[in-house]
Formats: sequence, C-alpha cells, structure tokens
Amino acid sequence: MGESESARRERGTRKRAIGEDWAATIVGLLLLILVLLGVIPQGVIP
Amino acid sequence: MTDPGERATAQTNTGEPATEHTAGTRRGDDPAGLEARPVPRAWTALGVVTVLVLAAATRFLEQAVPETFTGTALEDLAAAIEYPVYAIVLGLLGNALLAATGLRDRLAGGFRTEFFIKTGLVLLGASINLSVIATAAGPAILQAVVLISAVFLFSWWLGGRLGLPEKLRALLSAAVAICGVSAAIAAAGAVQAKREQLAYSASLVIVFALPSIFILPWLAGVFGLSPEVAGAWIGGNIDTTAAVTAAGALVGEESLQVASIVKVTQNALMGVVAIALTAYFAFRVERGVERDPAASHPRLADLWHRFPKFVLGFVAASVIATWYLSTVTAAEGKAVIGVANDLRVWFFILAFVSIGLEFRVASLKEAGWRPVGVFASATVVNVVLALGLALLLFSGFSAG
Repeated sequence: MGESESARRERGTRKRAIGEDWAATIVGLLLLILVLLGVIPQGVIP
Repeated sequence: MTDPGERATAQTNTGEPATEHTAGTRRGDDPAGLEARPVPRAWTALGVVTVLVLAAATRFLEQAVPETFTGTALEDLAAAIEYPVYAIVLGLLGNALLAATGLRDRLAGGFRTEFFIKTGLVLLGASINLSVIATAAGPAILQAVVLISAVFLFSWWLGGRLGLPEKLRALLSAAVAICGVSAAIAAAGAVQAKREQLAYSASLVIVFALPSIFILPWLAGVFGLSPEVAGAWIGGNIDTTAAVTAAGALVGEESLQVASIVKVTQNALMGVVAIALTAYFAFRVERGVERDPAASHPRLADLWHRFPKFVLGFVAASVIATWYLSTVTAAEGKAVIGVANDLRVWFFILAFVSIGLEFRVASLKEAGWRPVGVFASATVVNVVLALGLALLLFSGFSAG
C-alpha cells in the first residue's frame, strides 16, 4: 500500500470516527429534549 | 449507522485504519472467507435486534428475579444483582451461542458498544447538576484529581517499564484511573488505538469490576467504614459507573449518593484526560512517524479532530438539565429527569450486552501477562489510595 493510500485511509478514519461521536451526541441530546418536552412521557420506558 | 461492510474497507468504529480486525470482518473463525466480503446490512440489522432482545431480557431479569426470591434465603442476593451483571452474562451466553453456530461474526456489525455507551453518557449528563457538584462535592473533585493523576501516572509508568505499546498504556491507564470502559473508549478515540486494544482493555475492566461490586461493600463492612467514606471509596475505586452504582447501592442510600458524586466527578474529568492524551499523542508519540504528511507536523486542529465529541454532548446535557430544573418544581424535575435516566440505563444495558457479545478470550491470551499485571497493580494502588483519600476527605462529610 502506498503512502497516499495510507493518508487517504487516515482521513477517512477520522471522518467516520467523528461521525459516530456526533451521532451519539445528537441522539442523546435529541432524546433528552424529547423527554423535557414531554414527547417521551413518564411510564413509557419499561 | 455505517454498514460493517463499508467499515471493513475504511475503518473500525474505534477509529483504527482498516486492517484485518474490523467489525463484521474479524479474524479467527472465518473459514468462509468472510473477511474478504462485505457483510449485508440485513446481518447488521439482525445484530442490532439480537442486542435489543438480550437487553429486554436483562430488564426482565432485573425486575423478575428479586420478585421471585422475595421471602426466601436468597432474597438479599437476588436484590443485590444489578443490571450490568445480567447484561454482561446474557451477552457472554449469546456470544458463546452465536460463536457455536457461526453467526457471531456476521452479526457483529450490530454490536455497537461505542455508540450505545456514548449515547448513554450524553444522557448521564442530564442527571448532573453542576451547582450541586460545586457546592457538595468539593472533596470529590479534590479526590478525583489526586486519584486520577496518581493512578494514571502509576499505570502509565508501570506499562512503560513492562514495555507495553503507548496506545495500550493510554487505554489501560485511562480505564483504571477514570471510569472503565467509557474512559477507555474516550482514550481510544483520542489516541486512535487499535480495536483489539480497546476490546482487551474493556475485557480487563469487566473482569476486575464484576467482583469489585461485591468485594468492596463487604470490605467496607469489615473495615467499619461510615456510609459516606464507603461511598467515596467505591466511587473512587471501581472503574465502571454502573458497577459503582451497584456497589454503592449494596452499602446503602447515603453511600450510593456519595459514590455517585465521586464517580460523576471522575466522568466529568474524562474529557480533560482525553484532551491531554490527544495533545500528547499528537505532539509527541506520533511525531516523526511516517504517515500522513499533515500528521507528521501536528497542528492545533488535531486536538479538535481527535477530541471525543460526545463529551460535548455530555456537558450540554448537564447544562440543559440544570437550566430545566431551575424552571420547574423539584418533584416535577425529578420525575422528568428520571425518564432520561431510564433511557440512559437502556443504553448502558445495550452497551454491556454488546461488550459481552464482543468479548474475545483470545484477545486476553494474545496480549500476555504484562497488561494484566499493569492493570492489577494499578487496581491495588487505586484501592489503597482511594481508601486513604476517602478517609481523609469524607470522614466528616454528611450526605444527609
């Protein structure tokens, strides 16, 4: 594998890792906001 | 969600450049040559369903077992077993079953431990009131800073003496010094560790944390510690937040409160350690290594690229919840935040089930005795130092 291929993979790696971090952040905050707004009411979560 | 087949050609979900150890294309029992082929999305979806079913079974057992044994000699034991135990045991049983049937590697794309635990940690932020921490947990902050620094540096030093790779040292040190699997995940993201290094660190955390849930409360009784001191000891010592909660609850409500404050403080400092590790690996360890030319000349932007973004979500959730609680009555706020806590427990259960499903004994055997020695030694230092700090800082503390 050439160096340019390695560099390309490294950039792809970082991009996707950032994507999963943001996904967890967005999902977590979205769920919290839905709870605070009452969209997910008490008693719904088993 | 990224299909494991895509990740097989681009990355692992720990940020490791794809080699032979990526989710859905693991080495080992792969006679069918799965490694060379993308895994269909249907298998990934089936993997997620598997995790959800085991998580539901965990929730069922958590509630049904104590009810079943009420009034019997096993009542206390049944009540003491918390959801992390059920989740991990069910995950391990599922692991064995899927491995025996040859399905484990095909379904592995759905075992999204990192996503589940990170989402759970963001939701955990909602249960943290910054003002309460600032006013009631001053000793916890001092204890956390001293404990994390001392245990991390000891583990880092011993790992170096025993010749462990830098990234594995970082993961083990973060795991044993801060908050177990989630800290190892944060450290893995910060230093771009290999997937098997994270799996190994997570396995060690679980192996050490599970007995601690029962041993530390028992020792607290033997030593005659007050509930507050016992809580501070448990919170400062046991690696995983869920295990801390379980052990604190075994001692009692006051112990649980103090243990939670101490652990939450350690969780809050996880981002600081992640930033420090990011800086260290960006500017020192990887300097001069032949790779991306941009990486051989580290920039400040690398700090941002490698910073675990879910930590921002964790802090944002705390800010949002703190503001929300200032606008409603205490009872209403407690009930609503309780729903967020229920969701958080679900994500933690999903993560623990996934850890059980992903557990590889081979990774422990391949790593040899040195990482185990580092982790065990650091755990002993952690136990002794945390006990001393708990006695020093929490002897006059009242959680009431």
